[in-house]
Amino acid sequence: VSGRREVPADLRVDWPRCAGRGLCHELLPEAIDLDPWGYPLVTAPVDRRLRRAAREAVRSCPLQALRLVDRPAPPEISRRTLR
Amino acid sequence: VTGGLRVLPGPWLLRAESPDLASHRRLRGTPGRTSVDDLLAVAGRSALRGRGGAGFPFATKLRTTAEAGRRRHVVVNLSEGEPASFKDTALALRQPHLVLDGAGAAATALECRRVHLVLPADRPEVGRAVVRALDERRHDDRRARLRWRLHTAAPRFVSGEASAVVELVDGRHNLPVTTWEPTAVAGVRGEPTLLSNAETFAQLAALLLDQQVPGPPHEPGTRLLSIRERTGTTRVVEVPHGTSWQEVLAPAELAGPVLLGGYHGTWAPTGTLERLTVSHAELVAAGLGIGAGVVIPLGEGHCPLATTARIVRYLAGQSAGRCGPCLHGTPALATAFEALVDGGPVQTVERLLALVRGRGACAHPDGIARLVASTLDAFPAEVAAHGGGRCAVGVGGRVRPADRAGAR
Repeated sequence: VSGRREVPADLRVDWPRCAGRGLCHELLPEAIDLDPWGYPLVTAPVDRRLRRAAREAVRSCPLQALRLVDRPAPPEISRRTLR
Repeated sequence: VTGGLRVLPGPWLLRAESPDLASHRRLRGTPGRTSVDDLLAVAGRSALRGRGGAGFPFATKLRTTAEAGRRRHVVVNLSEGEPASFKDTALALRQPHLVLDGAGAAATALECRRVHLVLPADRPEVGRAVVRALDERRHDDRRARLRWRLHTAAPRFVSGEASAVVELVDGRHNLPVTTWEPTAVAGVRGEPTLLSNAETFAQLAALLLDQQVPGPPHEPGTRLLSIRERTGTTRVVEVPHGTSWQEVLAPAELAGPVLLGGYHGTWAPTGTLERLTVSHAELVAAGLGIGAGVVIPLGEGHCPLATTARIVRYLAGQSAGRCGPCLHGTPALATAFEALVDGGPVQTVERLLALVRGRGACAHPDGIARLVASTLDAFPAEVAAHGGGRCAVGVGGRVRPADRAGAR
């Protein structure tokens, strides 16, 4: 498990859940900016240095709309573009 | 904004004369029992890619579904959320049994007895054709223990997105949601699901039933295209891979830019397609994509920027409105693009592109960003001209004032 923590992770937003409260930006300005409408703009991957703060941001989201996803990014299949 | 539909006979999928089961069986025979390995071999040998737009290798998807768990599902997407796409409608009307044979073979191989068929609400003739076909094969399907479930997708651009389709099948709202795993791993009921476009299943069935596959050895098979004609009619054609675009499109259709891959697609500037063929690899190498096979020739003397502005405005209105960046960003992008057509700054468009791209539960904002970015790439001279307050597109090279109402 300790080896896993060395791997950078990505912050992913569950967009339909996110209401743009902005708490994540307050807690993690190093990796989360806000767009003109107040929604999070992920600006950097989460390295070891930012892990703890990132976990805090994920935990603190009032709508549970933020997740920390370990790399290597999961699927080769994206279900997003199928139609 | 749909006119008529004209389906031309094709070399393979659209080769049959009549859609009924008897003539289908007479022409192509009956598929034998196939295992997942058989299907993997067939799909792998022919490098079959999904025909819903993403072009993902079908064999990989099938293998993932087979390996991800024992309770599995098959979903056939006939919904064609893209209003300019008619190829799956054409298949349902002309060759429904080919689609059903492919889906049935996949379901039998995956040992799932229930197949979900997702139909378009705004094209009732598709549902009628499918119901008629299912009725014809009732006895065969009972023997094969296949059961079909029909679902109706809402008439909205994003209703056909994979996650929206899974939501519909699961009995929830037919809207995209965030997914953390691919459909092949966690789809219907959170279980492994083979969700593919109707044409993909028809291609699979044709590979199982027909020995002679058209197209070149390195890219066998055909592709269905929905070509929007100037009259508003859509013609659906089936062309073998490797066919020159000069054979596919009329000279008048090649005389101007062509929007490839539909409203989420990319522009091929005038003169680009003449040198290319209908080939996934070739088009991708040229920075283009065929998507779900929608082809919209603009024709000569029409402003591609004005056309794009109208499409982007339409797409912004098709957002489900559940993801903030899409809800706010896509109308803002549409407004910025309309301003660009009227001489506004390209920088505003570029800034909004970055705020829309990749920020949503589904591919809708990505698709809009792709179209807009491709427009800026493909038409630098037009963008510059509009920036100077003029439209550079005119018959015979004349410069005429930007006139949004007058363009196509």
